[in-house]
Amino acid sequence: MQIILANIVAIYRRELQSYFRSPLAYVIAGIFWFLSGLFFVFILNVTIQRIALADQSGFQGAIDAPYQFYQAFLGVLSSIAMFILPILSMSLYAEERKRGTLELLATSPVTNWAVAIGKLLAVVTFFITLLLPMLVYQFIVLTASSPPMSIPLILLGQLGLILLAAAVMSLGMFISSLTDSTILAAIFTFALVLLLWIIDAIGQQLGGAIGAVFAHLSLLKHYNNLAQGIIDTSSLVLFASYIFLGIFLTAQSVNLFRFQRS
Amino acid sequence: MIEVEHLSKTYGTTAAIEDVTFTVAPGEILGFLGPNGAGKTTTMRILAGYLPASAGTAKVAGYEVHEQSMAVRQRIGYLPETPPLYTDMTIEGYLHFVARIKGVTAGDRRRNVDLALEKTNLRDRRTTLIRKLSKGYRQRVGIAQAIVHDPPVIILDEPTVGLDPRQIIEVRHLIKNLAGNHTVILSTHILPEVSMTCSRVAIINKGRIVATNTPEGLLAQLNSGTGYELEIEGDIHSVQPQLAAIAGVKTVEILPAELPAGRSRVKILAQPDIQLPGREIARAIVAADLGLLEMRRIQASLEDVFLQLTTEEAPLDSAIAETEETEEAA
Repeated sequence: MQIILANIVAIYRRELQSYFRSPLAYVIAGIFWFLSGLFFVFILNVTIQRIALADQSGFQGAIDAPYQFYQAFLGVLSSIAMFILPILSMSLYAEERKRGTLELLATSPVTNWAVAIGKLLAVVTFFITLLLPMLVYQFIVLTASSPPMSIPLILLGQLGLILLAAAVMSLGMFISSLTDSTILAAIFTFALVLLLWIIDAIGQQLGGAIGAVFAHLSLLKHYNNLAQGIIDTSSLVLFASYIFLGIFLTAQSVNLFRFQRS
Repeated sequence: MIEVEHLSKTYGTTAAIEDVTFTVAPGEILGFLGPNGAGKTTTMRILAGYLPASAGTAKVAGYEVHEQSMAVRQRIGYLPETPPLYTDMTIEGYLHFVARIKGVTAGDRRRNVDLALEKTNLRDRRTTLIRKLSKGYRQRVGIAQAIVHDPPVIILDEPTVGLDPRQIIEVRHLIKNLAGNHTVILSTHILPEVSMTCSRVAIINKGRIVATNTPEGLLAQLNSGTGYELEIEGDIHSVQPQLAAIAGVKTVEILPAELPAGRSRVKILAQPDIQLPGREIARAIVAADLGLLEMRRIQASLEDVFLQLTTEEAPLDSAIAETEETEEAA
């Protein structure tokens, strides 16, 4: 057990190092921070204007402005993430295959599971790093607002975002393990993400039992649950299932495809 | 240390290797010699546990390579055909990573990495990014990665490919020094390489082991096969003693052949390491007043394998002088 843990840590550290040395990662970080910063200011302005408008028109009811702002911002963050996540996960295995380093990992006393878990943890860590500056903004605005937003609620939204990212990248990792082209991996991951994103709408169209199953598989629906501050066990289980499925399929495919190729 | 029995690997309908059997004793260096596409890499990959065999068994240090994969993986160092390098790491960082996943304990890691750097002569480049290294250096990092955890069995797939002549000598020296403490199996398509580094040679062609012997024994086996085949008109028996008396002749054999009356076919084989004097054979026949209708060199069955191998190398001395010159110029 200790050895497996040490192996996971070794893979994790190497993978994380390579993210922080790759120019692509910095480009992605730059774009992510620029876009999310832009939307942060934009949404904040819109929210403030709306409240001002309501005040002017003599609206007496209570508006939970921080909550509305937070909802809108989380929605934008997740949308930007959808484009970025496939790029983060595309090279996890495709690059190893191309470089031939998979042959090193496959002939070292490391299990496929340890490699997959280490890699996923690394890429999730990198994603969390992307979220950190945004988290600082959000804390400043949301705790200074009136009424201030509770910190657990903020953290729950972030947890939702991280779980969503982990689920998407876990599946992305599996797709990456199927090919040695990073571009193909990114495109197919994006297609899959899009499908899981809108499967809710498809389910509503279908209706009935199958429709209900489809709706339940939707990432968006469960992400919205957490973003709204609802701790739904079924949502957590669904994210965990996606993550596990991705890791499981990756571990299997690494074995299988190694055996088939010359 | 390595036992391979009736190993076969088929991809679809084509067989990469068929019924390969050999053993390597502890401390021995076995050279796996064969032309390109003979199945060397496939065999290496099966031994390293990267590919499963279609049939047969392969054992390393007493463990079956596929069923007890983890036990085998702990005991081997493996250099694949292309060195498996993370180009965004430094040499030192990379070797530390490999040592870690190979299960070298934290206390030994620094010493092991230093030793591997020392042996492969990479000390002064330890902090260089692998991306910036030339092919020769990359190959050496690949070898360093195979020995960093001091494994009992080392599998090297074409270890000297892409190296310059001076580095080739260094690597061969390094491999020789590994013998004794390590069991080494290396593949190559260069004939002189095995005679320089290996204690035993297995020759593989078209997926089958053609011969296994010591390098010296193999040469003897090869040379014993050379000779001439003749077609003679007249009474062959009258000249047979004279032919047998020629220096270097081992046997004179009359072959059964369907020829017109009065003609016969004769095979003359040479003793090991001797070039038969074809001129004297011809002279003896002509002197006996027989007709020499055909005279042809014959080669041993191994020869056609060797013909596909690189049997000669660029003269190393002059090449070294050249590299020294360019280094001085630089």
